[in-house]
Amino acid sequence: MSIVPKETVEVIAQSIGISHFSTDAALALAPDVEYRIREIMQEAIKCMRHSRRTTLTTDDVDEALKLRNVEPVYGFASGGPLRFRRAIGYRDLFYLDDKDVEFKEVIEAPLPRAPLDTSIVCHWLAIEGVQPVIPENAPVQGLKMGYLAGYNFLWQNSYTGGLECNVVCGRLAIAAPSNGTNNEQKDGLPVEIKLPVKHILSRELQLYFDKITELAVSRSDSVLFKQALVSLATDSGLHPLVPYFTYFVADEVSRGLNNYSLLFALMRVVWNLLQNPHIQIEPYLHQLMPSVVTCLVAKRLGNRLADNHWELRDFTAKLVAAICKRYGHVYNTLQTRLTKTLLNALLDPKRALTQHYGAVQGLAALGPNVVRLLLLPNLGPYLSLLEPEMLLEKQKNEVKRHEAWRVYGALLQAAGQCIYDRLKIFPPLSSLPACSVWKTNGIVATLSNKRKTSMDLEEQPPLKKIATDGPVDAVSTSSMPTPMEEDAAAATPLDNSDADHPSSSSGQIPPDSGSESRSKRGKGDSQAQKLSAILPQIWKDDLNSGKLLVSLFELFGEGILSFIPAPEMSLFL
Amino acid sequence: MDELQVVEFVATYLKKKGFSEAENALQAEIQRNKSSNNTNPIDILNDPELSKFFRTFSESEDGPARYQDEYSKLRSWTYSSLDLYKHELLHVLYPVFIHCFMDLVAKGHIQEARTFFNNFREDHEMMHLRDLQKLEGVLSPSHLEEMEFAHSLRHSKVNIKICQYSYELLLQYLHKTQSTKMLGIINERINFQVSPGQPSSISDDAEIVTLIGSNQDAANQINQKEVHWGLLEDSLENRLEKTGLISDSEKAEGENKEAEIDENKKRPVEGGKQGASIKKLKKDKAINATAKTSRLEANTVSTAPRVKPDLALPVMPTEVEQSILEDLRNRVHLSSAALPSVSFYTFINTHNGLNCASISQDGSLVAGGFSDSSLKVWDMAKLGQQAVSSGLQGENDTTPREDIIGPNGRKRSYTLYQGHSGPVYSASFSPLGDFILSSSADTTIRLWSTKLNANLVCYKGHNYPVWDVQFNPQGHYFASSSHDRTARIWSMDRIQPLRIMAGHLSDVDCVRWHINCNYIATGSSDKTVRLWDVSSGECVRIFIGHRSMILSLAMSPDGRYMASGDEDGTIMMWDLASGRCVTPLMGHTSCVWTLAYSCEGSLLASGSADCTVKLWDVTTSTKVLKTEEKSGTNRLRSLKTLPTKSTPVYSLQFSRRNLLFAAGALSKTS
Repeated sequence: MSIVPKETVEVIAQSIGISHFSTDAALALAPDVEYRIREIMQEAIKCMRHSRRTTLTTDDVDEALKLRNVEPVYGFASGGPLRFRRAIGYRDLFYLDDKDVEFKEVIEAPLPRAPLDTSIVCHWLAIEGVQPVIPENAPVQGLKMGYLAGYNFLWQNSYTGGLECNVVCGRLAIAAPSNGTNNEQKDGLPVEIKLPVKHILSRELQLYFDKITELAVSRSDSVLFKQALVSLATDSGLHPLVPYFTYFVADEVSRGLNNYSLLFALMRVVWNLLQNPHIQIEPYLHQLMPSVVTCLVAKRLGNRLADNHWELRDFTAKLVAAICKRYGHVYNTLQTRLTKTLLNALLDPKRALTQHYGAVQGLAALGPNVVRLLLLPNLGPYLSLLEPEMLLEKQKNEVKRHEAWRVYGALLQAAGQCIYDRLKIFPPLSSLPACSVWKTNGIVATLSNKRKTSMDLEEQPPLKKIATDGPVDAVSTSSMPTPMEEDAAAATPLDNSDADHPSSSSGQIPPDSGSESRSKRGKGDSQAQKLSAILPQIWKDDLNSGKLLVSLFELFGEGILSFIPAPEMSLFL
Repeated sequence: MDELQVVEFVATYLKKKGFSEAENALQAEIQRNKSSNNTNPIDILNDPELSKFFRTFSESEDGPARYQDEYSKLRSWTYSSLDLYKHELLHVLYPVFIHCFMDLVAKGHIQEARTFFNNFREDHEMMHLRDLQKLEGVLSPSHLEEMEFAHSLRHSKVNIKICQYSYELLLQYLHKTQSTKMLGIINERINFQVSPGQPSSISDDAEIVTLIGSNQDAANQINQKEVHWGLLEDSLENRLEKTGLISDSEKAEGENKEAEIDENKKRPVEGGKQGASIKKLKKDKAINATAKTSRLEANTVSTAPRVKPDLALPVMPTEVEQSILEDLRNRVHLSSAALPSVSFYTFINTHNGLNCASISQDGSLVAGGFSDSSLKVWDMAKLGQQAVSSGLQGENDTTPREDIIGPNGRKRSYTLYQGHSGPVYSASFSPLGDFILSSSADTTIRLWSTKLNANLVCYKGHNYPVWDVQFNPQGHYFASSSHDRTARIWSMDRIQPLRIMAGHLSDVDCVRWHINCNYIATGSSDKTVRLWDVSSGECVRIFIGHRSMILSLAMSPDGRYMASGDEDGTIMMWDLASGRCVTPLMGHTSCVWTLAYSCEGSLLASGSADCTVKLWDVTTSTKVLKTEEKSGTNRLRSLKTLPTKSTPVYSLQFSRRNLLFAAGALSKTS
């Protein structure tokens, strides 16, 4: 009935020399023993709290005993946990395993190291509420795990990949974490805690870096490299290595333009670094971007004909798009600069066709809006340049012709994707009678027109033209928010940028100017697409893309038709 | 029940109790009556129905199974009751539960009591874990008498606020099901305060079953007393504010009126000394430049009324005053938008021996009390130099050189104060940093001088370990709290305590001075916080609401609020005037070791065993309260959590310029 069994009482009685101890007495004593133990524990917990601890120690129990004027239990002051052993033959009798100690041994043993003295270190936990990233502060979540993950990778490889990693493992076992206060006491000896002052790359990370770079340079087709890439994409402790990787990639790309497999491996490294959620790569983007763009639009990638540099360019295009998508909002000039570079490459007739191909792929990967705004306007003039290259009679060089066809294919795909994208956002044909749509459109246009005149914009198409022509972007975007009046303010800046290039889709603007505003416009457009349920917008878009489609059809002929879903095609053609 | 049955009842009762003569007498009487009245006698022993009735009656006298049975019925009834009234009825369960248990124990049914306890303890573990742990050990009737907790439970009634309908529901149920045991307990142990109308909201009734000494009524009575929570009228901040006003009024006529109005609002008690100090300060050229900003700041404080000190407070030397004023003028204004900088002092190599840490007002001195009876004080101004030297030594610590010299050969980086003969549980710097008080398990408090590096006085008075000691905000006086369930007020020049505050039902774990020095607050293991008048020694407030031992207290600088932190990680903010909890601050997952208000009272910092410093916005709530708006929107928010590197935070201290100092011992994470 009490948690202290009577056997325990009997055993204790025996141990203090009471041989004739009746069971009744034991039974009577047991509950009281339990009560006393609980009482002492309660006091011990108080002592523990006042010692600012959350684990109960033997010292606390001693203090509690002293509080109760009981002689403390001696001999339990040692630091380690007590090891109880089960007495043989008894189910629930335990004893402490005390070894006999030879005096001689104790005397002859070397003096243990004196424990280190207490001291204080001072650091900033927060500066105006923000925690500085210093070793003294708690690491960002997951960093610690990352170290281990990195090690695991090395460990695994030492077994699976047959790498000569034994040395690495050996070192790992001894290497303490470089993080100062993290220093644990490994063998019970006190270790003085040092705080590092400068940024030190731990030996493990160095080894890791060396392995990865070696793999990338020499054995990029091995299974091991794939594992390394997975590690790059998932490990959380790699942040200190990012600058090194950045430098490595830039360095190798500039040196190894002739080495196709190396370039591909490097791009894969970049790709996987980007995937890693624990790495903040933004500060290094400006160093990474040139090498990446090089792999996209370089004249020659790889030195052999067999090298499938098209694939590399496709991959890099995807990479570039991913970067833009992820960091475009942080670096708002990123995409602008990129599109400018690509467009320059495309529109320069002196550049090689391979470069054109890269540029087209890059632009296409940035999304249909970019294609529509930048590529399509230039499509006509460019195709007229490209056409002679594609024809057997005009271009005798087989390779050149192949390249031209490649570029043509890329262009076709980009344009097709774009038009497909435009078309698929429409809901199945609206059944509303056309006249009512015209009406609303007209009213809306008037409203927005009035607003515009007050804003004194340079170009103002006549109202009639809007009502009939529809596709002028400026009006439609401003007419769009009128159902929701609170959006009107937000729409005005869009109007502005649109008014600068009132007919960007018709391709009359010089391609180099105002690409920033265009990218802004792209955003506005995507916003518009979200609200595509609004009727006038749909109607306008229908018209707009109908026109677009016709122009594309003129340029590409039948090739474009495969991109158009059947119902739309039946409508437009 | 007719007359005959009553007679039978009596007869059986007498028989059962062994009053045979009385029974015989009764029988004889019955016989006589029967013969005279010629009524049909009832065969007591042979009538099956009656005997069954009597059997149940006699069983019900002390059948331990009935407790279990009836309680479990009551419990299931409660759990299936209407949602609206459920939480009120659930509150009834706990006292019924513990009293059932104690009744069983008192009647000697230990085994049954144990099974009963184990069957139902889970229901109450969340709310009353500590109480249950205490009660669990009660195993014999004598324990009930001996154990103070059980004793007081059995000799006081529990107050439960309940709405009319819940009360009726409960009574109906008890009568209908003939749960006589439960009815008995409820009648005997629970004091219902039936209120008409709707049941109270769940948040209101946190205080219900906390054990308080005498009676809830007594607590309410105590809380009726008046508390003058205002600031000291002659405090430096006040003076600074006034000088600000005056210099402003000199500058601009327009503001003059306003200033006068402001001044009239305050009590027009202007001693000659104050005037002198104003004149003196006027000479200070810097004032004009900074007056405006300081005034803005001071205005936030000036809403607090002023009170006179009850104690004779020490006079501050002028140069110290000047430096404090300088600090006040340069104070960083903190708010939810402007968070403080936190400087963290980490104790390393403490070998689990650090019991407490204390930081002086200006952050230059840090004291640590250790379980090896020592008190160590570090001068942080000198730390920079030592860091260089230890850094040098650290670099070649692999060489055996260190072994030869050893840590004792090296010059210590701290001043060691030896004198205590038990673990040092608390240390407190005097406001000027020239004295330290330390309290220890050896029942003494010692006063040390940081100038002389020596022990000056040993104060003996407590009979048990002294858990906490705290200097008065103005110096000279100090308060201590102890395991002997008292708090005491001392002055530095006497070895006997000036006041003894007795009333807590368990250890007094922490003590803090009110900002105007007229009150002290004490937190105790009995889960209450009390406010005591220093001059009279009376308890003027009891704050009930915590669910576990109180570990830390802090007083807001405007004197209006108090924060207390407990073992579970709950922080509660109290309004001193009303004695009510403003809002509980939930967030910490372990013991809240320390609390500190920022100097203008807009932020509360809390340090906990979960290795975090949390900053709370406490302005929103105070504003809401000032405008006397309805509660509900005044949720205090946690602004920021600053995790440390496996370092529980032992101590927090805002400097006068609102820099936050924190201290803690690096603990091994294994």
